[in-house]
Amino acid sequence: MEVFNKLNERFPCRKNVLKTLTNLIGHSEEMLPAAIHIYGHTGTGKTTLLKNFFNESIRRNKNKLNVAYVNCVESYTSRILFENILEYISGAIADDIKTENLKDFVEKLRRIQSQPEVQYIISLDNAERLRDMDANVLPSLLRLQQLTGLNICVILISQLPLEKFYCKTSIDDPITIYFPQYTKSETLEILSADFKNAQKLIVALLNRKKPEDLSTKLEIVDTVTREFFNNYLNLFLGVFYKACRDLSELKITARKCFTFYMEPILDGTVSMSDVSRLWRCIAGQLRTALSQVYIRSGQPETPVVNNDKEILKVAQSLELPYYGKYLLIAAFIASYNSSKEDKRLFVKNHGKRRKRLQNVNANAKVTEKMNTYIGPKSFSVDRLLAIFYAILDEKVGLTCNLLSQISTLVNLKLLSFVSGENVMDGTSRLQCTVGLEFVICISQVVGFNVRQYLSDFN
Amino acid sequence: MTDVMDPTISVSKGCFVFKGTSSAKNSGATKRKHNDDNVSALRKQMTGQPYYSTYTATWQKLESHIEALQSESYAKTLEDLVTYVKNECSAEGNMDTYDMEEIVPAAALLTGVNQPDHLEQFATLTQRILQKMSASVCMLQSRDCATLKSAVETMVYNFVENAERSPPTELEDEDTEQREKKRLRRTQCNMRQLLNWYRRKYIKPQLQTGSEVEDAADDVSDACESPTKSYSKRPHALVVILPDFECFNTAILQDFILMLSAYYTHLPFVLVFGVATAVSAVHNALPYHVTSKIKLCVFKTLTAPVCLNEILERVILSPKYAFNLSGKAFKFLTHIFLYYDFSIHGFIQAYKYCLMEHFFQGNAYALCANYTASLNRIKDLTHEDIESIRRLLSFRPYVESINDCKRIIAILTDDSYLKKKLPQLLRDCHIHFMLLRIFLEFFTVLVGDLPKCPLGKQRRELYSFCLSKELRDQPEFKECWQILSFMSKDEFVAKISKAISVTEDFMSAEIVGLELANDCMTTVTSKFQALKALLTRVVMAGTEDKSPTNTAAPTTTPATPESSKQQKFTSRQDLKDHLLQMSKQQNKPTSEYAQAVAQTLLHIQNEIVVCHLAPLARAPPLHELFVFSDVSTVRRNIIGAPRAALHMALNNPHYYLQCKCCQLSESNQLLATLPDLSVAYKLHLECGRMINLFDWLQAFRSVVDDIDNEQEQVDPQIQARFTRAVAELQFLGYIKMSKRKTDHATRLTW
Repeated sequence: MEVFNKLNERFPCRKNVLKTLTNLIGHSEEMLPAAIHIYGHTGTGKTTLLKNFFNESIRRNKNKLNVAYVNCVESYTSRILFENILEYISGAIADDIKTENLKDFVEKLRRIQSQPEVQYIISLDNAERLRDMDANVLPSLLRLQQLTGLNICVILISQLPLEKFYCKTSIDDPITIYFPQYTKSETLEILSADFKNAQKLIVALLNRKKPEDLSTKLEIVDTVTREFFNNYLNLFLGVFYKACRDLSELKITARKCFTFYMEPILDGTVSMSDVSRLWRCIAGQLRTALSQVYIRSGQPETPVVNNDKEILKVAQSLELPYYGKYLLIAAFIASYNSSKEDKRLFVKNHGKRRKRLQNVNANAKVTEKMNTYIGPKSFSVDRLLAIFYAILDEKVGLTCNLLSQISTLVNLKLLSFVSGENVMDGTSRLQCTVGLEFVICISQVVGFNVRQYLSDFN
Repeated sequence: MTDVMDPTISVSKGCFVFKGTSSAKNSGATKRKHNDDNVSALRKQMTGQPYYSTYTATWQKLESHIEALQSESYAKTLEDLVTYVKNECSAEGNMDTYDMEEIVPAAALLTGVNQPDHLEQFATLTQRILQKMSASVCMLQSRDCATLKSAVETMVYNFVENAERSPPTELEDEDTEQREKKRLRRTQCNMRQLLNWYRRKYIKPQLQTGSEVEDAADDVSDACESPTKSYSKRPHALVVILPDFECFNTAILQDFILMLSAYYTHLPFVLVFGVATAVSAVHNALPYHVTSKIKLCVFKTLTAPVCLNEILERVILSPKYAFNLSGKAFKFLTHIFLYYDFSIHGFIQAYKYCLMEHFFQGNAYALCANYTASLNRIKDLTHEDIESIRRLLSFRPYVESINDCKRIIAILTDDSYLKKKLPQLLRDCHIHFMLLRIFLEFFTVLVGDLPKCPLGKQRRELYSFCLSKELRDQPEFKECWQILSFMSKDEFVAKISKAISVTEDFMSAEIVGLELANDCMTTVTSKFQALKALLTRVVMAGTEDKSPTNTAAPTTTPATPESSKQQKFTSRQDLKDHLLQMSKQQNKPTSEYAQAVAQTLLHIQNEIVVCHLAPLARAPPLHELFVFSDVSTVRRNIIGAPRAALHMALNNPHYYLQCKCCQLSESNQLLATLPDLSVAYKLHLECGRMINLFDWLQAFRSVVDDIDNEQEQVDPQIQARFTRAVAELQFLGYIKMSKRKTDHATRLTW
């Protein structure tokens, strides 16, 4: 019960979940349930809560509880998973816990001679990864209690509900605990607990910048009250709650924006009570922050860019060698034209096309039929080079340097291999991964008109 | 072919890798036909040669200069990056994610697309980080990360091994104990191993010195409970550098980052991404649940062309070095850079190759050093070297310019006489190139920012232009001059005086410390004196001459209409002549100002452009010693053209085989003595896309088999030879057996 009280204090709004947990595994003298499945969205505190719960429990009764906490992302083989678990539980160092397979693992667990009152808990984070391992791992883990005869409990932590874990061989249903998402008021409550940290951040920033009137500014920071912070959070959540419910994301952004919020106050231009003026000051900043809420950039002062312009900016800032640019353009043309059209587009005397009604009808293109909207088609390296030579005015030799440009473009993810990555004879197929706007931008730089060579626009 | 013994011309043509100086030594050795096996003796023979020592001295100077420059230009970004890394690892630095445990700090370094150079940059970064803070750095390349397993193994192995290799700093006994454990097999490397290693090495020692209460080894959880404590417990950062971010498999990268973040409470990782394109690449590769685990900070480096310009202007065009590239060679190297790969490293290596090629021409080229050094070299020249000097192209005009018979004979036959003459000639060359460089500065300011930049705006462009062509006769030059003469007075005066001041600055910065500086300076100052005088005239022209031109204008203008009125034109011809005359009159610069400007420009053209920015053809005698111009050799050796080489080999085997039997009078000739493969290849060149095998065989037979036996069965031996040739062509990728049409092959080349 002490653990419960302590954690309830530290983690507001998680009373129900905590109670269930305490009832299930909080009593050292009782038998543990075989397995527990914990799920809920990201940022609902599954991992943090559980970790703290274990820490507290271990502190209370040190010798009687053995906890293994393993993240399954790391366990790319089941062997690592087993060895990690064993290391935690038996406290042995790497060498004597070689575990090749599940049988070894169970055997090792059995061999741990222990007093009957010791409890073992294995908690597996990102448990959905267990499904990708050997078929026997997940079912056996869920009935580890039966297999080993220890007082052991396996806790699966995952973002997926239990239904997603069912497999052909069927699993024993574990006890399920759901971590619901925080409501708005709960979020507010949790964020307001972060008051001290936000204050500290401002102090740290001030100390780093070292303005002239550092002491007065520090005093101002000291006078900030919790109500003031809560008011700010109300404003903040009003903007952000619609876009983002992830608690840690909100927390970081709230701290960052709080420094902006405090800026006019620290400068002495706006008083702390003048909420409407403060709002006017912060509104722009919040909007900026909202547009890059998930981007997590370290520099708070990066300017906002909207999406269209970003493509232009990337295309302009992308410094490619001259022939590299032409190769990219050629790749684009090859990707978005059918090879039937090549002759018409690139050969000077290709003969007149006879206009027939059928053709006219076929060419009256609906947007859905435009090649540029359908997506890139693959083309062979030979065709790429042929188009490259066709669109380039000057004569260049087919040298190693030129060919290596193709692989550079692939490395930059501007082109991608569809097939034949290791074939050398020019029949391997590629695809162009950049869009029309990007290519138009690039071709403007070298003074080339792409549209002229796209069958969609002719 | 003169250079038959050149090691780069062999039967199998392709790219030849020259690994620095060692291969230069070898190639030198083969040329001198010392076929000894004794390498050290060879080396002595090589390094003893004067040209070689000059080469090494020059290259070392250049290399260190380039390195200094590069580290200077990377310095700012690197410094920022290192500070960021350092901040993130200290307790106070990461306040904005304080008490959020699983957020790994990450830095994205936008490096530009010249990927071959990046590894070097990151190597410097690694060094900087190691200098500035206690950290282990691991460079993780995408080729090592085909699976998560190999990624982790590589990372852990690198961390642990590097730490072992670096000299033990604090704890000797720990180290030895670890060493025997560290017969680490790759498969044993996993995160747990890293964690143990880290604790053993960095946390335990600290605890031993500090508080011994806590036992860090067995409790996993203490750290995450109180962040402040855990942060203070992190003496040593683990920096993971991913130099080629784009090449990583995204799924593996995501898992990898998730894993690092899971361990972040125990192991202070810092990620550094080398991003070649743009930051959006990071966001494209990583979905939200991964980006939420990192904190991204973006850094930018200078773009490659900017870096190259800097190197070109400050090192390669520096007057400090006697070695110069001809306009063509210079253009060729920059062309590779700008058009193909943007690789600075590649550029430097190509430049080095030119340098080697230049000095390798013989000991006479040892004179290509600074003035005093070359004076010292003169006395060591042998008769052969002197002869090679006499064979230089520019030597002949020099001899012809002497009109004393005895002296000509002396110069051509008497070595010691020529040696006496050499210092003066070398001096002229040195001064010529220095003046060229000085006035290049002047000229760049003059024409670099004209509208549309007819001559180009970079020094490099102007340089290659000047050296390769007679500037005065070029239409671009005339255009520039026209634009200059149309400028307003203020602009014109400002431009010229800026050009003068920039040049003077350049002289005081770069030239003053050099030998022969004074001679240059006197020339330059005298020229500028004259120029300044003309400039003052330009300035004065506007102010004083306003009234005279005004008065002069009315007197002239009325005169013409009057005369036209008076004159009655008798024919069209008369009128035309008259009009022509009038237009000529009007073309003459009427105002004094325009005259003054024209004079100034003429002065610049005659005194500076023609005299000093002269093309190589007009350079002083023996300039070949200082200028490398053999572009074709360089092109042949540093640019691999596989298809062209194959075509050459098949079309004209004599080129490589050097046999007597296959000498062709013209390239499309067919001989029976040619190799079968070559005959088949040449026949297939004559065909269209589809090749009928039977026709091909007949043609093959008619070439190979000189007896005319149309009706008979084909000789099985010939058929076998043909089949084999066809199979080889298929193997080489020229043809493919068609599936659509029986007995036909498809050509794959065009």
